[in-house]
Amino acid sequence: MATVVVARPAARPTPRARDEEVLVWPDLVFVEFISALLFTVLLFLLSYLMNAPLLDEANANVTNDPAKAPWYLLNLQELLLHMNPALAGIVVPTVWLIVLGAFPYFDRSTEGQGRWFADVNSVKNTVFSFMVGWWGTLALILWNSGKVALWLKDWFGFSGGDTLAFLERSAALKDPSVVPWPDWASSIPYLWFNLKILDEGPGAGVTTFQKIDLPTLLVDIGIPAGFMVGFTCLLIFALWKVGWVLTRRDALITLMSGFVGVFLMLTIIGTAFRGPGQDLIWPWDLRTLEGIPGQE
Amino acid sequence: MAVEQPTQPTIGDLIYDKLFHNYVWRSIFRTGYPNTPRNQMLVVATNVFLHLHPTRIHRTHVKITHTYCLGGLTFFMFLGLTVTGILLMFYYVPSVDRAYLDIQNIQTNVQFGQLMRNMHRWMAHAMVILVFLHMLRVFYTGAYKPPREFNWVVGVVLLVLTFLLSFTGYLLPWDQLAFWAITVGTNIAGSAPVLGPKTRFWLLGGFEVGPDALIRFYTLHVIGLPLLAAIFMAVHFWRIRRDGGLARPL
Repeated sequence: MATVVVARPAARPTPRARDEEVLVWPDLVFVEFISALLFTVLLFLLSYLMNAPLLDEANANVTNDPAKAPWYLLNLQELLLHMNPALAGIVVPTVWLIVLGAFPYFDRSTEGQGRWFADVNSVKNTVFSFMVGWWGTLALILWNSGKVALWLKDWFGFSGGDTLAFLERSAALKDPSVVPWPDWASSIPYLWFNLKILDEGPGAGVTTFQKIDLPTLLVDIGIPAGFMVGFTCLLIFALWKVGWVLTRRDALITLMSGFVGVFLMLTIIGTAFRGPGQDLIWPWDLRTLEGIPGQE
Repeated sequence: MAVEQPTQPTIGDLIYDKLFHNYVWRSIFRTGYPNTPRNQMLVVATNVFLHLHPTRIHRTHVKITHTYCLGGLTFFMFLGLTVTGILLMFYYVPSVDRAYLDIQNIQTNVQFGQLMRNMHRWMAHAMVILVFLHMLRVFYTGAYKPPREFNWVVGVVLLVLTFLLSFTGYLLPWDQLAFWAITVGTNIAGSAPVLGPKTRFWLLGGFEVGPDALIRFYTLHVIGLPLLAAIFMAVHFWRIRRDGGLARPL
């Protein structure tokens, strides 16, 4: 029996680009078809098992309590409880969407694309930043809803009294008995006339483009904005110090993962843990109430 | 050396030939049945729906874990929502007097009405979740990087449009859940500095949620926003092709 000796190249030649390709039909079209089919079946099954909610007919005279926005806006509704409405409802989402859109213009490197978590530290960076966003948000919500102060009192008998009332909610800082604000602080004029740009409708009251209410400005805008911007910068700075954030891409991963943690926590709290009067309650107490999607 | 002799065509061959090589089939599809590489490429290149795809694709891109089909599934939800939405439109009149009764009617008197409404509702939720996950997939695979910067921006616009589509549909059942959700939602919009109250007034067609708000939300929901979304989707898909398909390591 003769042995055929075949000369082999020393190294495997790089495959031609064409050799690395497959035909869209059937290889991709098949995958798409199966996933579409799977989702169709799953959604039919869900629709068979669970009816879309329909409460009583709309009535402007009967307020739903809690009145809640659709679940994907409940993160903003949760923010509204803690800060100035314009900041929570408009400025934060607008600024975030602009920042999000600007991602590719900030990180212009072409490295590591097309692979999941291609960068060296990206997995631990993602997990850690997510956790900071997730638990940090929970801690801030618990603090500002007075739960932390309540537990301190219940478990350790610690009571801050009036002077430490800001431990219960940041809004207490507006109170002159907590912080000795001078009288002029709540009405600092910055315009010598009352600027009225647009008609704000009946019952909107006097427009306030004339004076600054410093305690309110500080507590409703300054502190929350400081927390949001400050914590984000601190997190990126800390991770840069420990060597996890080395590139712009790493900074974006920290930013995005932290955002996802915050976003999910806010949405979950707003959806499942806010009861009548927007008080924090357990989800099983909420289930008996109306207005939860899927519960009839 | 034996020469292979031609064999008699079987019944199957004859049926295949009659089905896929006849005059009518050719007039519609141009190509034969896609069972040869040539026909498989032709079917993708000559079909208006399939030519969204290239004829060939890098083998890593058909791996399910590369994209989890999230973008495609989001688009599929959009199509499903269009179909179920049209069926619901047959029975639904966006007036304060009729809206709620029509929804009850769809649920109780219309054949498969409850199923259609449920499908529309859950698909809408699925679309919001899928588009969010798609964004995360693109981010964590670094697929927004050059040359795909602008397509990421288009994607952010589509994310907002998806939220708006869902939000405008939320009012239409005209029940307590819808009414108060939209009241809360538009109050958030109304809190914007300077332009807030005007924006809220423009959205609602008045100072509170009423008949004018219902017709505005309906019009935006069934024609305005879907048209806008379709335009941005066309740009989004076109640019995927123009920018060289899905991102992969350079």
